[in-house]
Order: sequence, then structure tokens, then C-alpha cells
Amino acid sequence: MTTVALIGNPNTGKTTLFNSLTDKYAYVGNWTGVTVEKKQGQVKDTDIMMIDLPGVYSLDPLTKDESVVADYLMHNEPQLILNVTNASQLRRNLLLTIEVLELGYPTILVLNMIDDLKRTGFEYNCTVLADRLGCKVVTTNARNRKGIAELRKQVIDYPDQNADGLTLDYPPMIQQAIRQASTRLVKGTGYSLRFARWLTIQFMNKNKVVRHFAKENQLAPLLQQQAYYDAQKFADRIFDTRLTFIEGLLKDARQQLATSNNRQLTSKIDRVVTNPLLGLPIFALIFFIMFKLSFDWVGTPLSNLLDQFISGPVSTTADHLLASLGAIPALRSLVVNGIIAGVGGVLAFVPQIFMLFACISLLEDSGYMARAALVTDRIMQAIGLNGKSFIPLIIGFGCNVTGVMAARTIEQPKERLVTTLIMPYMSCSARLPIYSLFVAAFFPRHQALIVLSLYFLGVVVALTMAKLYQVIFQVKESSIFVVELPQYHVPRLDIIWHGTWDKGKGFIKKAGTIIFAGTVLIWLLSSFGTTGFVSNSANSFAADLGRLLVPIFKPIGVIQWQAISALFTGVLAKEVITSSMMVMFHTSSKAVLITALGQFISPLAAYSLLVFILLYAPCFATLATIKQETGSGKWALYSAGSSLVVAYLIAGLIFQVGQLFL
Amino acid sequence: MKLLINVLIILAIVAYAFYLLGKTFKKSKQGKCAACDFDCAIKQQLNKSHH
Amino acid sequence: MVQQNYILQSFNCINGPTAARLHDMGLCEGCPIKVIQRYPFHGPVIIENDHQRIGLRYQVFAQLTGE
Repeated sequence: MTTVALIGNPNTGKTTLFNSLTDKYAYVGNWTGVTVEKKQGQVKDTDIMMIDLPGVYSLDPLTKDESVVADYLMHNEPQLILNVTNASQLRRNLLLTIEVLELGYPTILVLNMIDDLKRTGFEYNCTVLADRLGCKVVTTNARNRKGIAELRKQVIDYPDQNADGLTLDYPPMIQQAIRQASTRLVKGTGYSLRFARWLTIQFMNKNKVVRHFAKENQLAPLLQQQAYYDAQKFADRIFDTRLTFIEGLLKDARQQLATSNNRQLTSKIDRVVTNPLLGLPIFALIFFIMFKLSFDWVGTPLSNLLDQFISGPVSTTADHLLASLGAIPALRSLVVNGIIAGVGGVLAFVPQIFMLFACISLLEDSGYMARAALVTDRIMQAIGLNGKSFIPLIIGFGCNVTGVMAARTIEQPKERLVTTLIMPYMSCSARLPIYSLFVAAFFPRHQALIVLSLYFLGVVVALTMAKLYQVIFQVKESSIFVVELPQYHVPRLDIIWHGTWDKGKGFIKKAGTIIFAGTVLIWLLSSFGTTGFVSNSANSFAADLGRLLVPIFKPIGVIQWQAISALFTGVLAKEVITSSMMVMFHTSSKAVLITALGQFISPLAAYSLLVFILLYAPCFATLATIKQETGSGKWALYSAGSSLVVAYLIAGLIFQVGQLFL
Repeated sequence: MKLLINVLIILAIVAYAFYLLGKTFKKSKQGKCAACDFDCAIKQQLNKSHH
Repeated sequence: MVQQNYILQSFNCINGPTAARLHDMGLCEGCPIKVIQRYPFHGPVIIENDHQRIGLRYQVFAQLTGE
């Protein structure tokens, strides 16, 4: 099968291009690091496999996600490389292009966002570029699908691409060193001359992955010369040669256009949202509106409708159907009070969760995220992180697992570790159903505000913990904060929809797997007791377990066994807490549960319980991801243990202090 | 007979639930979220480079 | 009026990874840049070069421009 790899700088529209060419939608965002891993899809109506690699500024990685690209190129042989560039920033994009072309694979240079360039009053002569670089050049504007058909044709015709590779005129001294080392490499290892040359140049250029590779494979011709290369500052001279080549090339290829209308939009918006005084308030306002939309204006009414449908017609029809088929009470209870109540109860929250995801997707697609990183940097710096940590943390609002993965875009290892460790305090969407249920029961007038306060508390706890870690770890390494501010885009509806779907489909999928399984589990525990099948769940195993732990939970105001047993199931996935409540109260109706809850605990205890749920322990998937990303099970254990302690202390504090006033 | 079918159905649902539970645990142990189960060349590459 | 246009003076004082990243973004000694925005309390600085906007920390900016 033919493989095509997409390589390019961040913010060049690679993923948009990928999505237009393939029939699989990948996740698009207008900020660095959307593709933290891998995306692969098939080019429509062909058997060509396309791989979307993370955006990189060069093949020498600074972050974990960037190392994927160099690794990929060293261990795989794509038949074709699509080098996607932002046409307005060709000068810096070509630095990467040269590195790719030196490798000698057939390459198509894609000048994307060509419309932006033309607006600035000039364009490039593609023939000149193609001649001097030795590869095909195609112009596209992926956002409005211009040039996609032509590009697709070129990709399908890939066997016609010539693959001479590019040989730059490096200074004679470097040329000679390259020749010597690569000849010896070819002899010693059997690499192709092209690859040996590329390896040598990358080695001279201090590419960390290549240097590591050389050490691992004992490539003596390179290792012996390392000191010499570095002492002679080969890396700097290679950079200078490349930049001179690019500047010469761009000068020759540049063509003036008659019309020019300078792009004003980005400057105008930036004058407001990155204003030194207004920046932070606007940031807060955007989030407030996001929550209002999800919990007051749009999400909640839709959720209520869906709930009425599930708990009404669906539930009663199923019950009648089962009864007429002759099902025994246990089976009817399992299906109606177990599965429909539990899984359906969580599915009723789909509108709210999708609304929240739509807002996050809108922020990502518009280009605001990078600005958020910027305006928050000063605060984050004070606690030993940097503004870039803010983006993974916001992603964590969707799902902590993806948040932890997104932390790969942070350059500095300790900042990355701290960001990973505070991630579970970011309130993921799976916690929403339980908040939503409780605020409807106890704080019907201030739903959005109470939920927002929980999110805010999560952030405050996260930042406080970060500060604590900064003191403990004694972070002194200098931080790296260079953030590119992409042009704003007018959001495209289908991209937002696909971003929303991409994030939200996991939630629906979980309903069929882990939430279903958790529901059945809790149904078993709450329907069977020491006496066998029980019709009153107060005699069940779940009740026994819950009652056993009441003394421990008493200080935080929780004395109901139902709530305590439900907390246990939350480790499977946070949504299961909600299902468990539904199952244990034997209802599939949100409205019934809300009334039941109201008589059941005081508002203060309810809030304290919500705080505990917000903080208490990452779900199993998050723990596993922390283990994978930090490379140690100890951090995962630590994360679970520390968050339990923090949750207990803070929920206890809120309940005890609250009691004094209420 | 009717009781037997009923019990069998309940057992089947419970068994399926436990099977799903086991599958999800195994998957999350590899650091995957329950939501996404897609594996590709680059992901494998990444895992290889870790070990 | 605060000065808006600068020429990058030296990459010697800033840490290696930051310098590498700036190089990769096409910034080099002698490159002209324009300051778009500054933040109070020595917060980040937004600079523009070659149609790209980049946010930097003040310390890095000061070392680059010799301000």
C-alpha cells in the first residue's frame, strides 16, 4: 500500500488539508499541537494511506510530540511526502522543507493559505520554486477547498515525482566533512548514500533524535567527529547557508500583484483580546458565556427534553414489552431500572456536553487558544508553569486523558510533569452529568454559576498544587515560552461540527461500553444482598458497603450510603456516578431523582459532595495515561492518592465552615 | 422453562458487562482512553521509541 | 512613545532550546522585528516578523534586543 506523509510547520492547515483529502476526519484546531499523535486516513476513492504528523518547526525536536516526526522519517519509508507550508511565512517554512528534501523522498511542496499571501500584495512563481527546490509545487487554500482537486491528482500520480533530493551549497569545509562521513557510513552500514548524507547533516545540526540514533547504533563515522563538528559551529553555518539559500530563492520567485488589501482582521481583533488590561477579563467572559450556553441557554433545555423522552416513553414501553413477554421482575429491573436508567440517564446529558465541546472547538478553530496562552502566561509564570500549559488544561475540560496527551507540547520536562499531575483537577466533561443533576436539585436558580464555581475551584486547586510542586521540585530550569499567534479564521461550521463530534463521540461510545458495564455492576450490587435478590436496595450489598464507610465520609457531610457507593463506581469512569445514582434510586427519570435528592441531603452537603467528586480521583483511563506519559506507575499512584487527600480536605473544609454560617 | 430463559438472559447481560469491563481495563492499561481505540503506524512508532 | 521597531542583536544569552526554536521560526541576528504589544509587570511581548506574530517572555525579548 502507498503511504503519504504530511509534514509541515504548526498552523499551516495540515489537518484541514488532511481532512479534505481523506475520508476520515481528524481533529482540527488553530493552535500549535492539535495533532499530538497520529492521524491516518485513506485518500478518497484510492488505496493511498495518508498520515498526518504533528506540526514541527524543524526535524530537531524540542517536545515529545515533535520527536514523532524525526522518528517516523528514520524508521519508515513513505512513498511520498506532502510538505505543507503557510505561503505567507514561506521563509521560515522552507527551513523545514530543506530538511525534508535532503532526505530525498519524492515530495510535493504545498503552498497553503495562498489567499492570505495574495492579500498582502504578492505571490511566488511556482516554476522558479519547483526548479530550484527540485520538487513539485502546488498552491492550495484548504479552508475554502481551493486547489484540493489538483493536489489530489498530484498525490495519485505520485510515481511521476522525481526524487533527486536537494543538495545545498554548504561551505567547502562542511561539504567535505559530509562527503567523508557519509561515504564511511555507506560502507559500514549499507545505508543508501542519500540517507547517509541526510543523517550526517542532521547529526551536524545537533538533531537530538539523530544523535541518539547514532549512539544507539554505534555509528562511529559520526560519533568520532562530533566534537569537531560542534567546535567548528557546523550547526550555525548550516543554518546560515539554508537561510541565505531561502532568501535568494524567495527574492527570485517573488511576483508583485496589482491589488493588495492588507489583512486587518487579525490586528483589529488582537487589539482587543490581547489588550494588556482587557485580555484577562475577556478570557474570563468567554468562559462564562461558554458555560451559560451549555447550562442555561441551550444545553439544559435540550437535555431535559431528551430526559423526558427516555424516562417516559422509552422506559414505559420497554417495561410493558418485557412484562407482556413474560419477563420475571429481576430481568425487568435489570433492563428498566438498570440499563435504561443508568445508560439513558447519562445519554440525556449529551446536549450539554456537545454544547460545551462545540464552544471549545470554536475557540480552537478561531485561533483564540494561542492568545489565551499568552494572556495567562504571566500568572502561570508565577506558579512555575507557562502559558502553554494552559492549553492542555483547557483540553482537560473535555477529557483528562486528551489533556495529559496534549501536555506533550510543553517543552520543559518538569513543566510537563507538573501539568500532567494537576490535570485531574480540571473538571472533565464526564463529571458534568452529576453536577447538572445536583444543581438542578439544589440550586435551580443558579445552575450555570454553581457549575462555573466548581470549574473555577478545580482550576484554583490545580494552580495551587502547581505552586506547591514548584517549591518542592525547586524548578530552576529556564522555561521555554515561544508561542506563535496564528491568523484568526472565520470559523467554518463543518470544522466545528467535526471537532465537536470528534470529542463527543467518545462519550456516546463510552455509554455502550464502560457506562453500560458499570451500570450492570452497580445494579448487581444494589439488587442483591445477603438474602439474595432484594426488591428494596436498602438491604443490598451496595447499602452494606456504603454504610460501612459512613463514619469516614461524615466530616464532609455525606451520610447516605447511595452517594458513597456511587463514588466507588466513579473510578471506572466519572459518568458512572450518575448512572449509579439513577440505578440505586430505581428511577430512569432525572426529574424524579431530582425531587428524591432534594429531600435527601442539604444543599451544603450536596455542594461539598460535588467538590469531593470534582477532586477525588482520576478515572482509570487517566491514571493509565499518566503512567504512560510519565513512564512510571508511581506518579499514577501518587496522583490517585494525593487527589483523594486534597478532595477530602477541601470538601471537609467547605462543609465544616459552611455549617457555621448556615 | 420461562424462568430458565429469564435467568439465561440476565446471565448473558451480566457476562457481557464483565467482558466489557475487562476489555476496557486492558485497553486503558495501554494508556488508551475508553473513547478512542485507533492504532496506527505512528502510534506504534511512538510506543517503540519509548521502549 | 515607546520604540516599536527593533533589530535582533544577539542570541548568545538566551537558553539553547529557545534559541533553536526562534531559529526554526526564521528569526536570526540582524532580523528586523516590530513590537505589537507589551504586557505590564514584565509580561510577554508580542512581536511581528515576516507576517508572523510570536509571543515571547519579556526576559528573552530584552536579551534579544539588548533593551
